[in-house]
Amino acid sequence: MGTFEQMLATQPGWLDASGPISNVVLSTRVRLARNLKGVPFPMRADNADLERVRDRTLAAASASNYLSDALVLIMDESSQSKREILVERHLTGREFLRDSPGRAVVIGDRELVSAVINEEDHLRLACLRSGLEPMDAWRLVDRLDTELERNLHYSYSSDWGYLTSCPTNVGTGMRVSVLMHLVGLVRSNRIAQVLGSISKLGLSVRGFYGERSAALGGFFQVSNQMTLGQSEDDIAYMVERVAGQLVTLELEARSELTEKGGRKIEDEVHRAHGILTSARIISPDEMMVLCSSLRFGITEGLIDSVDLATANGLLVSTQPGHLKHFNGRDPGPERRDRMRADLIRRELASGSSA
Amino acid sequence: MICDECGRPATIRFVETVNGEMRLMRLCGECAAARGIGLSFAPLAGPLVNMLMGFLEEVGAQDSVEVPEPACSECGLPYDEFRRTGKLGCAVCYTSFEKELRPLIRRINGSTRHTGRIPTSAPDDVESIREVRRLKVDLERAVRGEEYERAAELRDRIRDLESKRSEGGDDGDV
Repeated sequence: MGTFEQMLATQPGWLDASGPISNVVLSTRVRLARNLKGVPFPMRADNADLERVRDRTLAAASASNYLSDALVLIMDESSQSKREILVERHLTGREFLRDSPGRAVVIGDRELVSAVINEEDHLRLACLRSGLEPMDAWRLVDRLDTELERNLHYSYSSDWGYLTSCPTNVGTGMRVSVLMHLVGLVRSNRIAQVLGSISKLGLSVRGFYGERSAALGGFFQVSNQMTLGQSEDDIAYMVERVAGQLVTLELEARSELTEKGGRKIEDEVHRAHGILTSARIISPDEMMVLCSSLRFGITEGLIDSVDLATANGLLVSTQPGHLKHFNGRDPGPERRDRMRADLIRRELASGSSA
Repeated sequence: MICDECGRPATIRFVETVNGEMRLMRLCGECAAARGIGLSFAPLAGPLVNMLMGFLEEVGAQDSVEVPEPACSECGLPYDEFRRTGKLGCAVCYTSFEKELRPLIRRINGSTRHTGRIPTSAPDDVESIREVRRLKVDLERAVRGEEYERAAELRDRIRDLESKRSEGGDDGDV
């Protein structure tokens, strides 16, 4: 794939709103946790072990079809701002901001497949898809896993399945996460009840960028809690089904809001659009709220000058790490708010295929 | 009445609604607890680790028969450290701390047996495990299609295969 800068210049494929039910579901991610046989998990491994794991995994990745052309980033050699960008693009966890030997990330075309080395587990494979696609994402990451397995021996027990550092991942090592925009359910005050009931179906819920982002814009990640006792197909299917139910409820809530709200809702959506295209200072919190209204307006047909992919892109490209990187160094929060407003105006001026 | 999850005597009967379809489930107390039935879950509860740790405290508090192994025989991870961080040190930790981990993993998953993907390098058992996996997908379809006779047949075949596996394998699901 090219360089880090080329990656940054391209929108992640999972944000492009091309997948099914993109009006409610931004993306689906399936990740598999794997560890190499005979080596302690990263937390207890020594530096030599960690570097061996990294080199063996990188060799296996470059011998695979899916990751042979991928961008490889060695964390020891990557700046703090690069690492922040990886977190904001959901390529690594926050843990990767800290220094620790043997860490690397392998990023495939348009960030749709990736391998994270020596985070909590030796290897975390991920496949992302635009829209609601758990089955598709699982099948793809399964093919990548099968390719890598030709050169890597995984830690596995016939009873427990794939052995992972945290017992909450043991078994399939699989986590299916669906990133959803549930603004209608938030606005109609039904969200707590709905999310409460899905936890009983074996799913857990988090915000897109922590809890705050969920409270602000209604962006939630819904994922399976259980990783053992069900097959991967079953898990993917279960998440798809429950997410599908949430979509139905969300669409009902949205059309109710639009019908009952009438001019008031229309006004609110256009005000959000107006601020985004005109304001000179926008904080991260305000950005989440406005972007949520903008997305809502686009999906309800109230705004046609901006497309969904552009609105989705703002969620990532306006994050602090991205702004720091574009500026060359950290401009500080106040100047970042100005940069954010400038970036949003530029994006929205060019951002429409309509 | 037998538990739909683990095959032991069931004590709880309840109706689950999935996609507007109702389904009768029978569960034993443990599997019911593992699914969060009869427990109240905060909708945005903190990381799973908190729950996990809380549970470990409970287990620790019982302080009943055996004192946990102080450390993993392979990597030396003290059990206390696992309680603190929620992270294991190596593959052998699963054996060293098996007594403690088994109820914990059951609580999270409602099961302690992997039925998913098998590495291509794994030798034995593979076919019967794969067969069970296929049958479970069929079972799900049958239940959704309200073909209950077929579902019962499939369930029996799955139980059959699974009991054969546990006879040949470890000490089973206790």
